[in-house]
Amino acid sequence: MFSTTLKRRAKVDSILNRSIIILVILAFGSFLILFFYAPLSKIFQFAFSDVNYYNAPLNAQYFSQSIISLIFFSDGNQLTFSFIIETITDPLNISFLLFTSSQAILSMLICLILGIPAGYFFAKYKFRGKKLLLNLMTIPFVLPAIVVLLGFIVTYGESGWVNSIWTGLTGIDSPIIEIFGTFEGILIAHVFYNLSVIIRMSIPAWKSVDTEQIDVAKSLGASNWLILRKIIFPQIVNYIVSAALLVFIYTFNSFAIVLYLGEIKFQTLEVRIYKLMKASLDFNGGATLALIQLILNTIIIILYLFFESRTRQMAEGKESIFTSEKISFSKNNWKKNIIMSLFILFILILMIFTFSPIVAIVLESFQPYADGISHFWGYQQLFSNEYMPLLGNSPLRLLLNTLLFASLTTVLTLILSVLLVFVLRNRYQSLKKYKVSFSENFVSYIIILPMATSSITLAIGMFLMFNNSVIYLEYVWVFIVLTHVLICIPFASRSILSAYNRIDVEMLNVASTLGASRFRIFTKIELPFIYRGIIVGGIFAFAISLGEFAATNFLVRGEYGTLSIGISKLIETQTLQLPATMASILVIITVICFLVIQKFGDIELKV
Amino acid sequence: MAKLSMKKISMKYEKKLILEDLDLEVKHGELLVLLGESGCGKTTLLKIVAGIIQPDKGKIYVDDIEISNLSPQVRQIGYVPQAQVLFPHMKVTQNIAFGLEARKLTKETIEEKINWIVDLVEISDLLDRYPRELSGGQKQRVALARAMAIEPHILLLDEPLSSIDAIGREALALTIRRIQKETSTTTLYVTHNGDEARLISDRVAVIYDGKIQQVGKVLDVEQHPRNYLISKILGSPNIWPILYTKKKEKTKLFTSICDIPIQGEISSKITGIKIPPSIISISKDRIEDPNLVALECYVKTVIEKSEDEYRLILDLKDNPSEYIKVDCSKSDYEENINQNKEITIYFNPSEVILL
Repeated sequence: MFSTTLKRRAKVDSILNRSIIILVILAFGSFLILFFYAPLSKIFQFAFSDVNYYNAPLNAQYFSQSIISLIFFSDGNQLTFSFIIETITDPLNISFLLFTSSQAILSMLICLILGIPAGYFFAKYKFRGKKLLLNLMTIPFVLPAIVVLLGFIVTYGESGWVNSIWTGLTGIDSPIIEIFGTFEGILIAHVFYNLSVIIRMSIPAWKSVDTEQIDVAKSLGASNWLILRKIIFPQIVNYIVSAALLVFIYTFNSFAIVLYLGEIKFQTLEVRIYKLMKASLDFNGGATLALIQLILNTIIIILYLFFESRTRQMAEGKESIFTSEKISFSKNNWKKNIIMSLFILFILILMIFTFSPIVAIVLESFQPYADGISHFWGYQQLFSNEYMPLLGNSPLRLLLNTLLFASLTTVLTLILSVLLVFVLRNRYQSLKKYKVSFSENFVSYIIILPMATSSITLAIGMFLMFNNSVIYLEYVWVFIVLTHVLICIPFASRSILSAYNRIDVEMLNVASTLGASRFRIFTKIELPFIYRGIIVGGIFAFAISLGEFAATNFLVRGEYGTLSIGISKLIETQTLQLPATMASILVIITVICFLVIQKFGDIELKV
Repeated sequence: MAKLSMKKISMKYEKKLILEDLDLEVKHGELLVLLGESGCGKTTLLKIVAGIIQPDKGKIYVDDIEISNLSPQVRQIGYVPQAQVLFPHMKVTQNIAFGLEARKLTKETIEEKINWIVDLVEISDLLDRYPRELSGGQKQRVALARAMAIEPHILLLDEPLSSIDAIGREALALTIRRIQKETSTTTLYVTHNGDEARLISDRVAVIYDGKIQQVGKVLDVEQHPRNYLISKILGSPNIWPILYTKKKEKTKLFTSICDIPIQGEISSKITGIKIPPSIISISKDRIEDPNLVALECYVKTVIEKSEDEYRLILDLKDNPSEYIKVDCSKSDYEENINQNKEITIYFNPSEVILL
């Protein structure tokens, strides 16, 4: 009565599915253990025991020891809390922690004040080119930090555009904005970087507001203030809080901007750790501070995940009744017209704020740095070896390195992310019994820590763990790519996961009652739904790797530099044309990435 | 044609037992309507039969072959979920062909089967459309065709009419019935609407508290419901639960609408009463006969039932939160009823059905 071929196929299916899950967990787990957890344990070791060497032989015994030492400190070193106590009582560390938090909170608040109304504008009004504009405004978020820095120097620096215009207009010689060594310089840069996060994440918040509830409240005589407080606020609060926490995480872990703009006065924990490790060679102190930072990050990430899951719960089963309207001016409502004009002006100012540093870089690349130099000197330099002693390689090779690392990162990240999503959303495992499967729970927990680990910490772990290995000494680029993969996985898997979450589980159920095999369901139903997510996630990973600075800068050796590293070295030479050229190339690639993303779907800024 | 049996099915969800030792049998070629209120576990039962959910306990048989351990791919059970869930990225033809292609049939066979089912379900004009271009009723037909194309042993339908507007409902229900009859497909049809059971079922099974409470032909169940709740789930008119019983001297049943005197002893299992609209008469004047139960009412709504009959919905004068349905001929209506004045209705308590 029941087809034996179907029966056999179902059996193969179930075995295949189970073995894939086991395989994925093994592959993913061993990747994380080898390149994340073991390196992390190394940091623990330096924080809690008095090892002051980092040249242990690298073999299997060493690996097992570093994992065991995480728990038992059994490798002969004494367990000590002296570094922890020293680190948290050091007045310098305390002041840097205070600075790190206060700048993060202030940046977050400014982003909220500017971003929520802008998000409202984008949610409420429709106009031509809205999606393009929105995507262009998101570019700063994935723009390499070092490019942003350069853009800021060109725009707001001492002899930058803004100050030149100011001096030209007023005749006053002292600059109106100072970005080096000032708190406001760092704030402006962080707002520039993160504003798009708030704008983008508050759009779904505004769209989720049930306008019918507002109509009902109005009919019941509620004032606008009451409606805002009692009807609108409860509906958007979770979105806003999770967006705010995200900005907090990004600014709390800011590196390149603060490293250069903060000079010695202002250091985030990230910069402080870097300086302890790289300049003072204080591995114990650096590792300890990295741990403290990791704990703080984990707390914020967990808070973030909590609020983020609440936004998803709120969105579930809710049909959007929000309709956008066209921008319009009415003949007899002058009050509305003024508000509308101010709104448009506000958005225009934000656009100028967003685009001017980017445009400035491209223009600067054509600006001869001295008399008698060609406009295209920067681009010609790409093919010369003149700067080789400083850069470690020719600019062209740096570009090729950058593209190669980014491509490898993309491929690895996508493989691991698709596998991750496969386990996280394995219907066979999780839906048969109406409860979350063990594998899903397990995987979603082991991924939190890598999300909460800053780039510098990831790099330090890699360094402490592998610096004595042949691969590290000869082919450090392997570790640069692996660190990039660790940084990118949360973003890419998020983008694939959010595409996957749009699949109606019932659809998969129906497909299986129709006799479709696991493989068939994947290729015919799941894949058509998630391939856009995969493309977006991949491009995002590519863009992040393209401009990654903190970890690359920590790990890089010899000829394996990237464009970001090259730019950072050239910034100090004061001739901006060549670094601006290199930055322009990064900007162009990033913009192309975004145009492709726009074609395929939406950007997930969340981690 | 096959027989479907569910034996001692139990299922817990978040520590709450939603199905408890449930037994049910759907006979060869029969359409059985599973009737129950929302959240009573009907859909869960369907998913268990389809193999999408594993029950905590119990077994499923098709023609006495146990299928509990077979995966949904193998069961050959057509499943149409409540929201139809057509594959949105495939045209109607591709949707229908999906299950056939999974069986690795030849192109000609697939085409043949598609033609057969498309004619049967009457959707030949929709084949090149995408699901988003279909109305609710059309989607339901396509989902039905997709499930029927694999010539299932059993067909499972989950509230197939719930997303259809009132006008299309009856037509679709009758289409489902026709297809089911023509193909003699054993069908389990889940709904919360008693009218659907009246319209198309061979038998109806009423479910609550995780168990099947009564199974039978609709008319039988309606006329001899095992208790008040079953009548309520069936949506029978004029039923009330018994609040308490007085057994001194003469037995009396107290309900929220009126007190019913009863001749002789009654069983303690009585849970409610039913006053069929047909036993109620109307009058302009007060009724003084002590053997009849009389109630003062106001007319709330008048619905035309047939050419010469109205159904009246009346508000009770003493208890405005209760209403009662009464059938009366148009001539009676003209004679006795003035919209704004109170009227009296009366009935013989011995004709009241005890539930």
